[in-house]
Amino acid sequence: MSVAPAPATRPIEFRNATLDSTIAVLRVADAPALADALHKMLGGMPDFFNGEATVLDFAELADPPQRIDWPGLLSLLKRFRLQPIGVRNLTPPLAETARQAGLALLDAAELSEPPPESARPAPAVAEAEAPPTPAPAAARVEPAPAQVDTLFVDRPLRSGQQVYARGGDIVLLAGMSNGAEVIADGSIHCYGPLRGRAIAGAQGNASARIVTTNFGPEIVSIAGVYKTFEQGIAESLAGKAAHVRMVMNGTEQKLGIESLALD
Amino acid sequence: MGKTTTSAAFASGLALRGFKTAVIDFDVGLRNLDLIMGCERRVVYDFVNVINGEARLNQALIKDKHCENLFVLPASQTRDKEALTEEGVEAVIRELEHMGFDYVVCDSPAGIERGAIMALTFADEAIVTTNPEVSSVRDSDRILGILQSKSRRAAEGREPVKEHLLLTRYSPKRVDDGEMLSYKDVQELLRVPLIGVIPESESVLHASNQGTPAIHLKGTDVSEAYTDVVSRFLGEDRPLRFVNYDKPGLIKRLFGGK
Ligand SMILES: Nc1ncnc2c1ncn2[C@@H]1O[C@H](COP(=O)(O)OP(=O)(O)O)[C@@H](O)[C@H]1O
Ligand SMILES: [Mg+2]
Repeated sequence: MSVAPAPATRPIEFRNATLDSTIAVLRVADAPALADALHKMLGGMPDFFNGEATVLDFAELADPPQRIDWPGLLSLLKRFRLQPIGVRNLTPPLAETARQAGLALLDAAELSEPPPESARPAPAVAEAEAPPTPAPAAARVEPAPAQVDTLFVDRPLRSGQQVYARGGDIVLLAGMSNGAEVIADGSIHCYGPLRGRAIAGAQGNASARIVTTNFGPEIVSIAGVYKTFEQGIAESLAGKAAHVRMVMNGTEQKLGIESLALD
Repeated sequence: MGKTTTSAAFASGLALRGFKTAVIDFDVGLRNLDLIMGCERRVVYDFVNVINGEARLNQALIKDKHCENLFVLPASQTRDKEALTEEGVEAVIRELEHMGFDYVVCDSPAGIERGAIMALTFADEAIVTTNPEVSSVRDSDRILGILQSKSRRAAEGREPVKEHLLLTRYSPKRVDDGEMLSYKDVQELLRVPLIGVIPESESVLHASNQGTPAIHLKGTDVSEAYTDVVSRFLGEDRPLRFVNYDKPGLIKRLFGGK
């Protein structure tokens, strides 16, 4: 008598999953030019990435090449600790060579709404070749407000770690370190030091804010508008409770940072 | 850095307190722990031999020359890092548990490669060793993040690995001169409870040249500082020592002396 194996004992089983991935928007496909750009962008943090699954998006390719040196491109990205898994927005002949190089062909529809690349400082590649156009935040259509849970992070967010609150707010209950990155489509609330990169309104929501009890970030961004602190943070704000929001400066949007009185 | 120095001293300190202790070298390819423990000439089999089934665990364990209840599991000098499989490491740690070991100290290699991940995967508690420099603090921050995402405890959603911060090669004078981060700065950056501060000292070099863990050099600051660390780990209260710089007084400056 033989019994069909119970599902749990099958040697392989397939399940559906939504993949958390980084999207690298390539404006050139030439490995040496990308190597330069990546080196410039991540010079201070060669291990900014941590083996993240990465989709290569060619929608903004300036000048589509005849062929792409896949082995060269893949080994370059791996050197920067990115793990390319698939491509999208390639012409059919190039897509076919990508498939032969072992990459999956993905459509925008197969990826659940990632934060737009214009709101992400790091993965948008090829700055050296074609400076990225300013974030078209104002032109972006606001996604329909779905009810999304707030994402709570109970432990400190450490260097090299990254979290993304899709569609909503994030609350960091134990602060974050330099070299960490927090991204939210809504606002960022940080109890404890805010020390890494804080990207709010990642889908273009300009009314998102960044609020913290201890201000000390490397970079803040709301709806694609950035502020870095190369010259250090003003003493009136450093280590203090503060919030960041978008303000209008004439017709220009900029980020305003104000201290908060906590009691 | 000071991870291997600390592993040797800490494991010896636990053994001196009567606990049956094993210390494992995860730095495949470098093999340092056995030198610091002074047992390099007695290495016949190593950790990788045990994982590959080429030797039994009790053939590979080397009994320490100072402590009755301390055993060293040396790393292999020749194998490549891939030899440390998760199943293999788990099997060895479980077997040590069955053999009645109270503590297993895992000496991690530097970086975030396989050896380091394997050393932290099965941890219940972690002593993160840091030097008072910005780059070292950043590395420790990174490893703390990995600890809380890659450890078994994290993977299984159990109580997180308990974190301790150990600051070593600390020079109160250089902190005073503004050349090094103070222990308070480091603690502020990492936000992990401090289990001890080990001063920078030449006695560490003497200890490793003799193949004697630094905790055995009676009367030295380093030995005392490591003894305090072990006590705190075991839940006892010990005031922090060796963190203040006493400026030499006038007499000392006039007449020299150390
Ligand atoms: N407290 C200390 N004072 C002076 N030198 C130290 C101290 N701790 C470690 N060292 C030295 O630092 C070097 C690296 O130590 P080691 O314990 O092998 O570090 P790791 O295992 O982290 O690479 C060695 O030369 C060691 O003698
Ligand atoms: Mg070592």
